Amino acid sequence: MTSRPADPATAVDAAALARCADEPIAVPGAVQPHGVLLAAAEPDLAVVVASANAAALFGRPVAGAALGELLSPDDAARLRAGLRGDLAEVNPLRVRVGGADVDVVLHRADGLLVAEWEPVPGAEQAGAAWHRRLPTVLQRLSAAATLEELTGALARDVRALTGFDRVMVYRFDAGWNGEVIAEDRRADLEPFLGLWFPAGDIPAQARALYTTNWMRLIPDAGYARVPLEPAVTPATGRPLDLAGAMLRSVSPVHLEYLANMGVAASMSISLIDRGRLWGLVACHHYAGPHRPSYPDRTAAEFLGRTASLLLPTLVSADEQSGVVEVAQRQAELAAAVGSNPRALAAALTGGGTTALDLLPAAGAAVRLGGELHLLGSTPPAERVVPLVRALLDAGVPVTDAVSRAVPEAADLAATASGVLAAEVAGGRGDFVAWFRPETLREITWGGNPYTSKTAQTDAGPRLSPRRSFDAWSETVRETSRPWRAHEASAARALAALLTRTRVDQAAEDDRLATALQRTLLLDQLPKVPGVELAARYRPSEDDVVGGDWYDLVPLPGGRVSIVLGDVAGHGLAAAAITAQLRHALRAHLLRASGPGAALDGLNEVIGALLPGELATAVVAELDPATGEVVVANAGHLPVLHASAGGASYLHEGRGPALGLLDVAGYREIRLTLAGADRLLLFSDGLVERGAGGLAAGMAELRDAVAAGPVAPQALLDAVLGALDPPRTDDVTLLGIART
Amino acid sequence: MLFDVERSTIAGRPALTVRGELDIATAPQLADAAEALLASSPAAIVVDLTPTVFLDSSGAHTLVTITRRAAAAGTVLHVVAPRANRPVRLPIDLLQLDTVVPIVDSAGEIPGIAAGHDAT
Repeated sequence: MTSRPADPATAVDAAALARCADEPIAVPGAVQPHGVLLAAAEPDLAVVVASANAAALFGRPVAGAALGELLSPDDAARLRAGLRGDLAEVNPLRVRVGGADVDVVLHRADGLLVAEWEPVPGAEQAGAAWHRRLPTVLQRLSAAATLEELTGALARDVRALTGFDRVMVYRFDAGWNGEVIAEDRRADLEPFLGLWFPAGDIPAQARALYTTNWMRLIPDAGYARVPLEPAVTPATGRPLDLAGAMLRSVSPVHLEYLANMGVAASMSISLIDRGRLWGLVACHHYAGPHRPSYPDRTAAEFLGRTASLLLPTLVSADEQSGVVEVAQRQAELAAAVGSNPRALAAALTGGGTTALDLLPAAGAAVRLGGELHLLGSTPPAERVVPLVRALLDAGVPVTDAVSRAVPEAADLAATASGVLAAEVAGGRGDFVAWFRPETLREITWGGNPYTSKTAQTDAGPRLSPRRSFDAWSETVRETSRPWRAHEASAARALAALLTRTRVDQAAEDDRLATALQRTLLLDQLPKVPGVELAARYRPSEDDVVGGDWYDLVPLPGGRVSIVLGDVAGHGLAAAAITAQLRHALRAHLLRASGPGAALDGLNEVIGALLPGELATAVVAELDPATGEVVVANAGHLPVLHASAGGASYLHEGRGPALGLLDVAGYREIRLTLAGADRLLLFSDGLVERGAGGLAAGMAELRDAVAAGPVAPQALLDAVLGALDPPRTDDVTLLGIART
Repeated sequence: MLFDVERSTIAGRPALTVRGELDIATAPQLADAAEALLASSPAAIVVDLTPTVFLDSSGAHTLVTITRRAAAAGTVLHVVAPRANRPVRLPIDLLQLDTVVPIVDSAGEIPGIAAGHDAT
């Protein structure tokens, strides 16, 4: 968090870090003591700068001497011949100085020829056997199919060649933190594989140097630096540039770092992918000073360069591997959704492959139809929806630093430093989201647990290497591993699939509900001897299936039950309940002693099997032979009885709606249909939405029936025409007369 | 027609005043508001249908649901539906909702809080 107040200790560290970054590591004005450095002016090769240990090697002062004077005539001639060509082809020039073999390594800097003299005695030699195996080693590297195989082989072969106690391959992340991805070590050492080294362990200017200079060696981390004389090169007015010198003395900070880790000798080789420092081969020796010979180091560097050339294909293969896995999970989830479109949440959370498996994350949330399902490690349920909502509203659906977009979610860093969210469209606020924890909690830090402290020096506090971890943890606090582009697009694709599935499902539900209701309404009214029946059903224009149903149930003995009912609610759910009630009532009508008892039975069905549902129904049981009618009414609008003298509602004998009471006890009323009498059953859609409301609608209906034609079919058409109910609800009308 | 469920206080009790048409389109809003009110298990609540201009079977169903939720929460419920409000009272009477839902004619019929919670 950038808003975190800086305490004094942090401020000191920041200053020390800056000093470290400013340290002139390319021009330290000194070399390591395992060799001698002479810088000479061409073409006479007079020594201009020399390391203070030169006289000891050559047995005489060297200032002003010509290089040729320090060599045997034969060696001097080879040197002069070498200078006419490519210096890289000369190195190392094996010469004899004071009776011993010395390897001379040449390069040019600051307009001078820089000659570094490294005595061969005292260097470890891998021996000719190893060099004969080089073709096999190269073949092993180039045969590697994965990054893991390549870096594993690299670590093994560099260690076999150089004899270091531990050889690691680091890979840098975007923030220059290094992860140990391969290691070969002495059996008794604890493994560092998988550990992370903070970016501060290798400061920026060191990394810059490593991009041009592939190899660094510190044979003795406890060495005493050997100054150059003179300290300032006369021609340039600056200390000699040692960026390309193998003897370059390293930063005291780095030596302290090595000492803290118990490292007595170290070497590193750059791994460079397409011009960018990609990683390092880092070699540590613990037993004591360790100096591989120059030829062995050259061979090791050659292995590093070879591996670097092989990196591009393997790195992209490594990046691709995640893409393939995510695509495979995506296909599995799509199949689960496709085979279970009515239970999307179950398909994403309950199957073999869950939403959490789609991509690498610690937790996932699936919110569908307003219901939240959590998988793995996530923030608490009550925080998930507000967090995802806030990120979506802020236009940051993909972030590896949640608290930067939503500061109030900073306390959720342990589970949600990174969030990848995708909205499931449909206006219900649904989404799918994945969570990643704070990076700090995922990474095991490499290095020894020494208490860090800032060393006090003449130049002010200098950064002590272990402090770099604190600085690093500040920079990565409340951030997660970043989301990759293919992961974000997989998340969006899943959300889009869910949106589409749900739209398809809604259309399918509508078709199903319509089909279901069609079975509830009769295609053709059954012919009942002595009875004339008419029915009209008009669906709502909203294309929403209502809960109306009607039925005609011929009973034993020639009687017929006429039913009109209405379930509260619309859509597929109401249609499904309607179907159940219709069939349940049929069964009860056939068995019960009369319509009141049948409605009692239906009320019990709701109480036992459909608790919470509410429905109304009216049943008129007609005996065509006698005209006797028995009516029972469960909360439905009253039956209208039309006769020659006018029309009137049967207000008596009504009972509560179905589903209200456990035991309703519906009463029955009896009347007789005489002559041209008719009964009219209707649903509330016919009367409740008129200008004057339900009461006015019922009065209007009564008048229309009284004034209307006698024949039921014609009467229903006349009534619909007169009342012209709004098309917002479905309307059902039944007319009954004796013939 | 505007629909609105307003949090208010009636007879000293937390109340929901329902304005507009209470039907299949709007009933879920009343259900949500009641659910939120009942979440804290108050001793008593009131649903006021005095300014309600229409009630269909879905609205009635919601009143039954609220009644059951209130009972489960141990909350005393009163629903104010004046006899003079025919568009609302007629369906209530037709369905005989008052067999389950504690309907009162006016807020004045709700016993004061001091009278206890043993009403209906």
